Amino acid sequence: MAIDGLIILDNTGRPIIQSGFRSTSAAYPMLHVDAFNNALPKSHRSGDIDPVIYVPPYNVADSPSACCHVECADMRILCPVSGDVDPLFAFAFLQTFIDILREYFGALSAATLKDNFDVVYQLLEETLDAGGHPLTTSPNALRDIVLPPSLLSKLLSVAGANLNSTINSGSGGGPFSSPIPWRKAGLRYNSNEIYFDMVEDLTAIVNKHGTTLSCSVWGKIETNAKLSGTPDCLLTFTNPHVITDCAFHPCIRLQRWKRDSSMSFVPPDGHFTLAEYRYTPTATATSARFISTGPPSAALAAKENIPIPFLLKPTVELTDSGGTFEFKLTSRMPSQTMEALVAEMYLGEGAGGVKCVASRGDGGGNLGRRAHDTMSTGGSATGSWTFDAKKMAVRWELPVVPPSSVWLLRGSFTSPSSGPRPAHALQVRFTVPSYTFSSLKIDQLKVTGETYKPYKGVRGKTSGNVEWRW
Amino acid sequence: MAAPGQDAKFFQRGKIEEFRAELHAAETKDKKFLKRKTVLKKIVANITMGNDMSPLFTDVVQCLGTPLLEIKKMVYLFLVSYGRSKPDQIHLVIPNFLQDCNDHNPLIRALAIRTMSYIPIPIVTDALNENLRHCLKDRDPYVRKTAAICVAKLYAADPRRAEKGGFVEMLRDLMLDSNATVVANAVAALSEIGDRQDGVIFKLNLATANKLLAALGESSEWGQIYILDSLLRYVPERHGDAEVMAERIIVQLQHANSAVVLTTIKALLYLMNYMENRRLIDYICKKMGPPLVTLLSSGPEVQYVALRNILLIIQRRPAVLKNDVKVFFCKYNDPIYVKLAKLEIMYRLARSENANEVLAELQEYASEVDIDFVRKAVRSVGRLAIKVEDAADACIQALLNLIETKVSYVVQEAIIVIKDIFRRYPGKYEGVIPTLCENIDALDEPEAKAAMVWILGQFSNKIDNADELLDDLLYTFLEESVEVQLALLTAAVKLFIYKSKSDKTKELVFKVLKWATEDVDNPDLRDRGFMYWRLLAINPTVAGEIVLAEKPAITTDSDRMDRGALDQLLLHTGTLGSIYHKNPETFIRNATGKSLKDSPALNAHSRAVLVPVARTQLPSGSVAVAGPGPIESHGDAAPAPPLPDAAPSPVSPSKPTPPIPPEAAAGETGEGDDDDDEPKGRPNNDPYSNLDGAFGNYTTDEPRPMGAGGRQGDDLEDLLF
Repeated sequence: MAIDGLIILDNTGRPIIQSGFRSTSAAYPMLHVDAFNNALPKSHRSGDIDPVIYVPPYNVADSPSACCHVECADMRILCPVSGDVDPLFAFAFLQTFIDILREYFGALSAATLKDNFDVVYQLLEETLDAGGHPLTTSPNALRDIVLPPSLLSKLLSVAGANLNSTINSGSGGGPFSSPIPWRKAGLRYNSNEIYFDMVEDLTAIVNKHGTTLSCSVWGKIETNAKLSGTPDCLLTFTNPHVITDCAFHPCIRLQRWKRDSSMSFVPPDGHFTLAEYRYTPTATATSARFISTGPPSAALAAKENIPIPFLLKPTVELTDSGGTFEFKLTSRMPSQTMEALVAEMYLGEGAGGVKCVASRGDGGGNLGRRAHDTMSTGGSATGSWTFDAKKMAVRWELPVVPPSSVWLLRGSFTSPSSGPRPAHALQVRFTVPSYTFSSLKIDQLKVTGETYKPYKGVRGKTSGNVEWRW
Repeated sequence: MAAPGQDAKFFQRGKIEEFRAELHAAETKDKKFLKRKTVLKKIVANITMGNDMSPLFTDVVQCLGTPLLEIKKMVYLFLVSYGRSKPDQIHLVIPNFLQDCNDHNPLIRALAIRTMSYIPIPIVTDALNENLRHCLKDRDPYVRKTAAICVAKLYAADPRRAEKGGFVEMLRDLMLDSNATVVANAVAALSEIGDRQDGVIFKLNLATANKLLAALGESSEWGQIYILDSLLRYVPERHGDAEVMAERIIVQLQHANSAVVLTTIKALLYLMNYMENRRLIDYICKKMGPPLVTLLSSGPEVQYVALRNILLIIQRRPAVLKNDVKVFFCKYNDPIYVKLAKLEIMYRLARSENANEVLAELQEYASEVDIDFVRKAVRSVGRLAIKVEDAADACIQALLNLIETKVSYVVQEAIIVIKDIFRRYPGKYEGVIPTLCENIDALDEPEAKAAMVWILGQFSNKIDNADELLDDLLYTFLEESVEVQLALLTAAVKLFIYKSKSDKTKELVFKVLKWATEDVDNPDLRDRGFMYWRLLAINPTVAGEIVLAEKPAITTDSDRMDRGALDQLLLHTGTLGSIYHKNPETFIRNATGKSLKDSPALNAHSRAVLVPVARTQLPSGSVAVAGPGPIESHGDAAPAPPLPDAAPSPVSPSKPTPPIPPEAAAGETGEGDDDDDEPKGRPNNDPYSNLDGAFGNYTTDEPRPMGAGGRQGDDLEDLLF
């Protein structure tokens, strides 16, 4: 159960940085880079390339291997594995490593990594040993061994090199002195704060009759803790029954959650995801929360599904040389405003000549616009559309969708002689600020073990991704 | 200047001589070692770019004396890259190694032994031996955990020597260390050693397994994976042991790390084989579903791995996701590999209760853009009809609607599956034949054409103009592929038997027989031609009985995997084996096979299908190891115990086994016919050899005659708990 190493490629497919690959032949990493670069052009979309590529052996004496890879900003990170390794192990490690890089460098790009390659190397050395066993991956502990390229280390490199090594070996008992693996020892903050962001994401498929086929809401509690010492937190909820299938950060005491559905933990320092969950509505709670404007079948589906916060009526007519379409979108949110709503439809290979008219459907928007004057500015009064010639998709954007508003997009397109073959579905994405589907409520946060009273903050945020078929 | 964050400029091709000069220049007046650091960074950057920096060996190692950790790290990085290739110069570094092994800074001690373990040169290994022993008992856990992994490296270099040095015992003791990370790394090292064909056998007894579980809570996620994975090395002797252990690890299903979740599931699936308590088993099955579904909310890569594993798991434990077929509905934007994996699971989960939902989805997919996916969706409609009798009417209607679309590849796929439906439900759907005949001209793929020809021949008594249609198809007989030629030949004979009075059919069959026996090179076709000719010449009545004999009804159940094989494959849950649906030893050299071990606690159903691994093959007395240690035996005198699935004689590491053909490739691309071309001379005791990737890809999943698969009577019942 170990991976062979890690290779970071830039967008031209050339390696920027790779780990040692000490126990393999020199050609081994190149073999994987080639295998990946060969596989890439064979896939229609870049996302379609198999995530686990089979790599035949270079010598007959070698055994074949597999190349796991993920995309990360403008780079690809490859993770060759040989032997009967769990590819999830590889993917989990890749994700962890990417998270660490983000923690160190912020937004990632090939250029950033090149600029800081010595730090990346040190990180590789500390997170992954040559046998492919992950070593230290908790950002809190890593910061003790590898200095982030922050102002601090800039200062150090100017002020005197030896400081560097003394800091590494000295201060507070050295690395791994903390009894809690995910938390640094001896942290001090002037103001103690902890913030919880409940981020929920809805994914759903709606069929052409407007019936919800599948729908799920996944939530995350993203936390930012800036607390001194070793605080022991107890987070309780007023309605913990609305969430199920939780996955927790290792800091959470699982037995305690099992007993009374409260989260008891000593948090890591800084940003981390405390828990992930799935929202499972009870039948009565949800149907009351949305205005049911949909057909009866949709109302029926609401009993087991979370209602989609909007209604879409797509009408598409195809001819031999193209087609016309009309999309009518109605918000079903009772009081919240949806934002950044984007609907996209693939029109088929070779489609073109797209002409559309976007308008606001509910009485020309007069009433609605006055009511929400502060929010709707410029083009958002009608929405806007574009045609993405690369993706062959028409894109309809509604920056602000007030409750119960109605929006229209009418248009036509042409297709090459083989006839139109558009996608029979629209992909709709949106966000709703300060809102959660689950309305999971934090009852209170108790901090014990320390004397201070921290400042607490809670926010909700929702995004959605709905496939609406026609 | 070496200001951080602006190092991109180092990525320029540098000349060896320049670097050497710069290094020498840096020896003097190098305040705070900044110059040296800059040059070393350039050199490391060049190593990354693949430029050979090894000529600088002597110059670089001289920097090792610099009292700066950052420089030391870079020199060590250089050493691990080129140390192996400099056996004659490596002695220069040994004193530094020894000094660093005794440094007061634990990071440096660890760095030194780690680097040494990467350089498998005798002089280094000798130096490492003694220091590693100290480091395994170091007061600092960081050093101990690093040392544990180094033992595995040392073992890889020279197994027998590492054993004689007592390192395996020291690792065993580390499993009882007070620090959870050290425990986990010791387990990882022992597992790595145990996975080698020439390694000592690593087994856990109850006491040690419990100790490891106690360390689980404090371990890092990676440590948890190692520990959970090692539970498969523990063979429960009593039902209760397995049950208690499962209850202890079940909370790990809520871990945020997907690999922890899947490893937990693997351990649970394994332990379930040794359980008796049906209610607990049901409970565990229920608990496993949601975390598997949770994995589907991750990135597409994780989804893919999860889906391939779900496909395995639901065959063994159908209760797990019985009511969750909706979760597997494909979204338009899913990558194609996710869609294909979902499609297979949807078909597996289809029952009469949800057949309509599944069918509606499949029809939706038939209008998609990706041709490969559309074909598989159409084919799945047909397989659904064969699998779920209640849905057959609706499926046929759906297929007829698809034929209406006149999209060439849709029509062809539909005809291929309708042929199978005819065989599954004889006499029920022949009414649709006229619709099929209207589309004969659209067929240009051999498989579709052959299917249509089969339908024409088989039902030529019900098709009035069968002779005309067949005659049309015969125009191109000599250009057709063998598949179509064989079908045409048989169809012509069937037609003749049905309508032997007609002159036209007589003429037709004569024409075909003559072509087949005189103008064709393919021996199969020729032989079949001769056979039919003689049959018809000697006794046409008997020929009729033979050619039109009752065909066994077909089913899709036989494509389910053999239970024993499935049990064994599930031991590899989450691993590459589960992606390819092959046992790892079939595609990885030196991999040891895993198999369920018999024990008094093994439940009867699992034992009935146990792929035999006699316990006696393990060294006797292996259970009686004193103390808490898990090591069952030491191969210090005897070679590794014979493994049940190894080649005839135990393979010594110096003599590699013949390379195994990359069967895995076929499984991965998902289109190759999965014909296992087993290497010759290899004893065919691989339990999967008869599987032909039973569900590794789509084409092998086609319906087969009932009873042809290895389906045991009581098997079905067991599968449904």
